Amino acid sequence: MNRRFRPLLAGPYLVWIVGFTILPLLAVVWYAVTDKSGRFTLGNLAAIAAPTNLHALFLSFGLGLITTLICLVLSYPLAMILAGMNIRNQSLVVLLFMLPMWMNFMLRILAWKQLLSKNGVINTLLGALGLPEIAILNTPAAVVFGMVYDFLPFMLLPLYNSMTRIRQDWLEAARDLGANDIVIFVKIILPLTLSGVISGIVMVFVPSLTSFAISQILGGGRVLLIGNVIEQDFMQAMQWDEGSGLSLVLMIFVLVSMALMNQFDREGGRTALW
Amino acid sequence: MVKRHLSRIYMTLIFLFLYLPLLMLMVLSFNRSKSRVTWGGLTLDWYRKCFENERIMSAFSTTLQVTLLAAVIATIIGTLAALGIFSMKKRNQTLYLGATNIPLLNADIVTGLSMMLLFVRFMNLGFVTVLLAHITFNIPYVILNVLPKLRQTSRATYEAALDLGASPLLAFYKVTWPQISPGVFSGFLMAVTMSLDDFSITYFTKGAGINTLSTMLYTELRKGVSPELYALSTVLFFTVLLLLTAANLHPEPVNPDSPRRLRRKSHIKRAVSLAVIALLTGGSLFVLAGSTSAAPAGKDRVLTVLNYGKYLDPRVLKEFEQKTGIQVRYEEYESPEEMYTKYKAGSIDYDLICTSDYMIEKLDKEGELLPIDYGTLAHYDNIDPRIIRMSEAFDPRHDISLPYFYGTLGILYNKKEVRPEDVESWSCLWDHRFKGDMIMTNSVRDAFAPALITRGYSINDTDPGHLQSAMELLAAQSADVSAYYVDETCDEMAAGNAKIAVCYSGEAAEAMEVNSDLDYIVPAEGSNLWIDSWIIPKTCSQRKNALLFLDYLCEEDVAMTNFSYVFYASPILSVIRDQKPAYRTIEAVTPSSSTIDRCQVYRALDDDSAALINRLWQQLKTE
Repeated sequence: MNRRFRPLLAGPYLVWIVGFTILPLLAVVWYAVTDKSGRFTLGNLAAIAAPTNLHALFLSFGLGLITTLICLVLSYPLAMILAGMNIRNQSLVVLLFMLPMWMNFMLRILAWKQLLSKNGVINTLLGALGLPEIAILNTPAAVVFGMVYDFLPFMLLPLYNSMTRIRQDWLEAARDLGANDIVIFVKIILPLTLSGVISGIVMVFVPSLTSFAISQILGGGRVLLIGNVIEQDFMQAMQWDEGSGLSLVLMIFVLVSMALMNQFDREGGRTALW
Repeated sequence: MVKRHLSRIYMTLIFLFLYLPLLMLMVLSFNRSKSRVTWGGLTLDWYRKCFENERIMSAFSTTLQVTLLAAVIATIIGTLAALGIFSMKKRNQTLYLGATNIPLLNADIVTGLSMMLLFVRFMNLGFVTVLLAHITFNIPYVILNVLPKLRQTSRATYEAALDLGASPLLAFYKVTWPQISPGVFSGFLMAVTMSLDDFSITYFTKGAGINTLSTMLYTELRKGVSPELYALSTVLFFTVLLLLTAANLHPEPVNPDSPRRLRRKSHIKRAVSLAVIALLTGGSLFVLAGSTSAAPAGKDRVLTVLNYGKYLDPRVLKEFEQKTGIQVRYEEYESPEEMYTKYKAGSIDYDLICTSDYMIEKLDKEGELLPIDYGTLAHYDNIDPRIIRMSEAFDPRHDISLPYFYGTLGILYNKKEVRPEDVESWSCLWDHRFKGDMIMTNSVRDAFAPALITRGYSINDTDPGHLQSAMELLAAQSADVSAYYVDETCDEMAAGNAKIAVCYSGEAAEAMEVNSDLDYIVPAEGSNLWIDSWIIPKTCSQRKNALLFLDYLCEEDVAMTNFSYVFYASPILSVIRDQKPAYRTIEAVTPSSSTIDRCQVYRALDDDSAALINRLWQQLKTE
């Protein structure tokens, strides 16, 4: 094919992006800046400042942060161990850790609901051991449990991928030159896995910030995240304008945090995405 | 040495964290008892029920169809796009890649609802909109997998092929394709993974009666968990385990050690991958063939019905479809407000809706309803005239609604933990002894009703000051509430997870059937009596078939089957006559006349009061 015409191959895609990505976003913007009668307003954007919405946004931000941190702390050592394993078993073991990700997302939440409920498995076990019961279902803690469980693979995978790119001989060279384990970790492993850390954070933080299904099911209607507010605006309260306003704010919020993250990562984390 | 042990232990711990919950589901799937903590013996019943369950199976086949079609189309468009983008000037490349990143970076909920906003303008939501949405979020994964491979190809070999007389197409096929095909393939697999697991985007773009596994499970989980779902999860787990271990699909860490082993491995990998694709395509073709032969199609034979959750025996639907050849697209909702939004969104043209008294009044006032011609209903005489008289509160001319079930709002309590005299009054909802053991209703008006009554106002009071004071009362209660549920209440109370719950009589009756320690009471101050009825909205294009459906529901046998499933008070005379005598004395199944005298029917709220009450409710939930 002539080189001049090759860019035309992207034609169908261009139509697709405009039709199903750009136009829908413009529709959100349109709803966000107009009221029910179609007049221009900034009220829908300002709705984020209402105490209930602000509270929901802060709660989402907090829970998202906690979830991301827990995932990072749990995955980092695990990724190191996995990357340092005997090559032959490595891919199989990694696969085992990834496997729950291919199970349906809702079924994973279902499992936690059953485990945590008041007369559930955990409390029955605790009772049998004579320990006090825990009552965390329908609290933010249960939501964090669910999110960590759901999103852990998204953190583990990029970390693991960046770990496997560290060549063993670099570490040996450092050791020969007299570096101890801590120095090797700080000077070599950490900087080389930074892009993995960043993509892991992005891949866990965004879904946990904006989730609404997990908080609905594990929060018992008592944990209202910004995702729940938006979902209710659209699906129950018939307030598409305000819902769009909040979505737009959320979108900007996500993009800004992403831009901030990318400041730490000059190489661009895309290569480590999967 | 110590380090090695430590890392073993650490790996084991995380492994247990990941797998114990799944293991629990597996064990429960073989448990004869419905309870999640007692073992009732080994059974395979849940597996049989799972495979017989039409909702699960149809969601499963929809999931396969959407996933496969979306992944294939996205792979084609994405690969072409990657080829195009690769040959572009730098500036255009950046522009395209920027746009490609939008669906990846954006929150799923925003991607989903943005597409919904656009779709409802131009078409009915349905299978096609879900498919379009899935293709949209799949394409970027394909492009981002193919582009890096393209960057590794050398242009010189391609040009050499041209110089040696190959046509551009042949040169592409012989030179470029072998180099990028692993990228195309892994892009395809990622698209499959993403589609299979998606919930949020499907949730916003799906139409009536269309469910993927995720959205089906979401509705089911809110209704309470049935053990068939444990069986489903076990089946899925082993399917995935089998496919993945066989294919070892996961991109291998490329180590520059032994190239020969690597090459052999990649051959095996490709062979197995091909097998997997063949299996998936074959499976979905099979499912497609099955589904098209089952559906008689033809647009004039499809009835779109919107109803409360757990409010119609699926067997009744199936028999109606078999008997008449009319296909029913059936969708469920949880609260009248949710129904109103679904209907008003105009994204789906409903033919029949079942909803509550005050919502019918509201829709009627807005001129949304068509009259029902009772003369065409052969079984109309089977409806209790008392209930028809009662429904004149919201349908004064009695020409737009057909009563379906009725009942009360009251308190379900556990006799083992709570004495009846403790729950005789609504004030028990503010009794701190029930802290953490109380389930409150998640339906706005039903939550405000007890608070308004306790303050001494009517349940139809719209005075802003009175509503505000009711909301303060509810706020004082919220610290003691363990959860706000509607359809989940029955399951949770039956499992003994709470001591008291505010719920509907039928919900209570169902829970009492499972757990005999439970009882239901309508507090002395009175409560709400509601009548759920069928209405035909303006969007109905199937009036004749809709009436056929309504008439079918009033047939003696059908009404009886449906009653035993729904378990609310039925306005069908033959059901009242033929039901077990014991049911007539159970308050939860048949409200006594003294209860009916104490209760009031909800009236429609004006827009301002409805908005106020919604705002107060949201405020309550975030405090």
